[in-house]
Amino acid sequence: MTTATVDEAPVAVVPDRFWDRHRRLGAAVAALGLLAAVLFGGLAPAEPARFTLSENAEGAAWEIDGRFGAILFGVLALAAGAALLAGVARRFSTLLLAAGIGCFVLSFLCWQVAGAFMPLVDTASGSLALALPLILGATAGVLGERSGVVNVAIEGQFLMGAFFAAMVGTLATSVWAGLLSAAVGGVIIAGMLAVLAIRFLVDQVVVGIVLNLFAAGVTGFLYERLMQQDQQTYNQPPRLPTWRIPGLADIPVIGPVLFDASALVYIALAAVVIVHVALLRTRWGLRTRAVGEHPTAADTVGIRVRGLRYTNVLIGGLVAGLGGAFFTLVATGSFTKNMTSGAGFIALAALIFGRWTPFGALGAALFFGFAQKLATYLSAIGSSVPSEFLNMLPYLATLVAVAGLVGRVRAPAADGKPYVKA
Amino acid sequence: MRPVRGKRIFAALAAGGLTLAAAACGEAPAENTGSNGGASAAPTYSACMVTDVGGIDDRSFNASAWAGLQAAKAAAPNIDAKNTSSTAEADYEPNLRAYVTQKCNFILAVGGLMGTATGKIAKESPDQQFAIVDAAVPDASNVFPMQFATEQAAFLAGYLAAGYSKTGKVGTFGGLKIPPVTVFMDGFADGVAHFNKVKSKNVQVVGWNKQAQNGTFAESFTAQDKGKSITDTLVAQGADVIMPVAGGTGLGAADVAKGSAGKVAVIWVDTDGCKSAEQYCDTFLTTVVKNITGAVEEAATKGAKGEPLTATPGYLGTLENEGVSLAPYNQFDSKVDPALKAEVDKLKADVIAGTVTVTSANSPKK
Repeated sequence: MTTATVDEAPVAVVPDRFWDRHRRLGAAVAALGLLAAVLFGGLAPAEPARFTLSENAEGAAWEIDGRFGAILFGVLALAAGAALLAGVARRFSTLLLAAGIGCFVLSFLCWQVAGAFMPLVDTASGSLALALPLILGATAGVLGERSGVVNVAIEGQFLMGAFFAAMVGTLATSVWAGLLSAAVGGVIIAGMLAVLAIRFLVDQVVVGIVLNLFAAGVTGFLYERLMQQDQQTYNQPPRLPTWRIPGLADIPVIGPVLFDASALVYIALAAVVIVHVALLRTRWGLRTRAVGEHPTAADTVGIRVRGLRYTNVLIGGLVAGLGGAFFTLVATGSFTKNMTSGAGFIALAALIFGRWTPFGALGAALFFGFAQKLATYLSAIGSSVPSEFLNMLPYLATLVAVAGLVGRVRAPAADGKPYVKA
Repeated sequence: MRPVRGKRIFAALAAGGLTLAAAACGEAPAENTGSNGGASAAPTYSACMVTDVGGIDDRSFNASAWAGLQAAKAAAPNIDAKNTSSTAEADYEPNLRAYVTQKCNFILAVGGLMGTATGKIAKESPDQQFAIVDAAVPDASNVFPMQFATEQAAFLAGYLAAGYSKTGKVGTFGGLKIPPVTVFMDGFADGVAHFNKVKSKNVQVVGWNKQAQNGTFAESFTAQDKGKSITDTLVAQGADVIMPVAGGTGLGAADVAKGSAGKVAVIWVDTDGCKSAEQYCDTFLTTVVKNITGAVEEAATKGAKGEPLTATPGYLGTLENEGVSLAPYNQFDSKVDPALKAEVDKLKADVIAGTVTVTSANSPKK
């Protein structure tokens, strides 16, 4: 009997550098905390900052003195950074990082809101609404890219989805028909992407860009020829209903935002969870990841690489098409030319910022939505921070993420590479 | 070998696309010699319009300018009107130059964003007649500027909004922070300030600070969902009359108003909202109208008759010459207090007479 002793396989010795990732992050968070305590605390007026638990100035509110709050949360962020730096509680490093950044944001808010009020429900639901298409778009991106097909055409899929939702929704006077055809619209673009990228091996980024232009052209043309002539017949879709979950909807702040929300919110969150579970726990998910990382190896064990890629890109198109429905069935009740205004590209950024994972993409999308909503809010209360600065925050965050500051960001190895059987 | 085939097919597709695009751009040249059978047979006067990135159907200034050319054409059949849409700022110069090549008699550039491009092309072809809406091109005698003292009409709107508001807060936001947009917001803020002065009230403006020249902007003229999000924010801050100066983005504000069960009203801009976005008519308190249509029609008609279009002073729309105005109250007619209406009318007369002056750093220089 010879039993192989796997345990004794040589373990690669990682050099124990002092300035590892945790310490570098800790130093950055500590610096941010210090900046917050000194700068925000110094600038904040000693006036109460009110965070109301409603959509406007009414109702219950948390109140804190602006200067005190700015300094308090700045010091807390500093403490979190210091803990990371000192190397204590390594297991909770992600939590510490989140707490540090959260306290930094709170410190900033205390400074800005001092002397005014921030309606939390409006802020949260606005962030979610702005994030909603990004969540679906980035999830669509995950589906394609994890199997090795770069999807730059999310913008085009949004636009087709938005257009089809408005058009069919109006003609059929059924919002569900609209939603369904939004998915079909996304799948049409995805199908073209799949055929050109997988069958004809055209550069995927180039195809994506061309498809975006194509979608803008087609929808723009049909809009001018049909919708603009007769808005009543072609461009007044019904709106997706709002579903209220009894009980849960009564929780302050979270209730009205998450449990008294548009049907698409539930669809988007379900999509994220389903894709996450499917990617990590099912045969399809394992094969998808294999095909995205090493298609040749996957092929040799009998996985149909191209077939799987087709499937994934098409499902991605379906999800992105649903994201497009947000623009016409949820946000507003009509289609206009180029109304997606680049949201597809921000979804792409959310995908990268979220490190090609469904939950990462969800987090990134929510962060981008929050940054946009915050920019609007700050400009509305007459903040001294230029709104241009806040508007560029999502892109700045993406750059930081791609530069590798928030951990290793690595695309699937075969991402963007067409598979040719040797 | 497969990659090669793929690329070849792609190249063929791309080439096909280019050909189509070229075919679409290259419309048949205007027949300048054309005698259209009539006895009067005036030579065809081709009026060619280049839109800015908003496109021909922006329900706002591009659409208004095009309506002006159409109206001129209806009045004088020898005018041949055509347009081309710019989809990006990089299109301005090529589009303008294409019309120079086609020997248009009158090339109209629409929008303040096109000023630089128009100036450049106008210098290249000094004998060509140009016109531009919402901008002036200094020292180019062949560019006829059509500008609007929009702050005067926006001033009336601000006064009206302040008087109509029940919450004591009114809001405004813009598409981009550029003078043709902020001039509305300046006038609006001044109108509210004037109301406060006359009535000793304290109505606040959310979304624009005239002194600091800082406010809320959507960074887009097409993103309705952003317009909606911004309006939600302004309403959360307590504003109940909103003036979006953001083209299609502003439709998001109308959507919020529609869902508010009459609590929020919108003041539309450029063209009477009940005509340009009629599905939202029940949300429009009024519209700050820039009569771009009238100005363009007049200029094109004058040009077709052979009258000179002199670059200085050009055209400046004011309350006095009805170049800018407040639209009718439409469905809000019964909801606005008659006394307030009278005050607004009186204020209009005062502005025309010069007893009340409205200023804005963003207004076109006379």
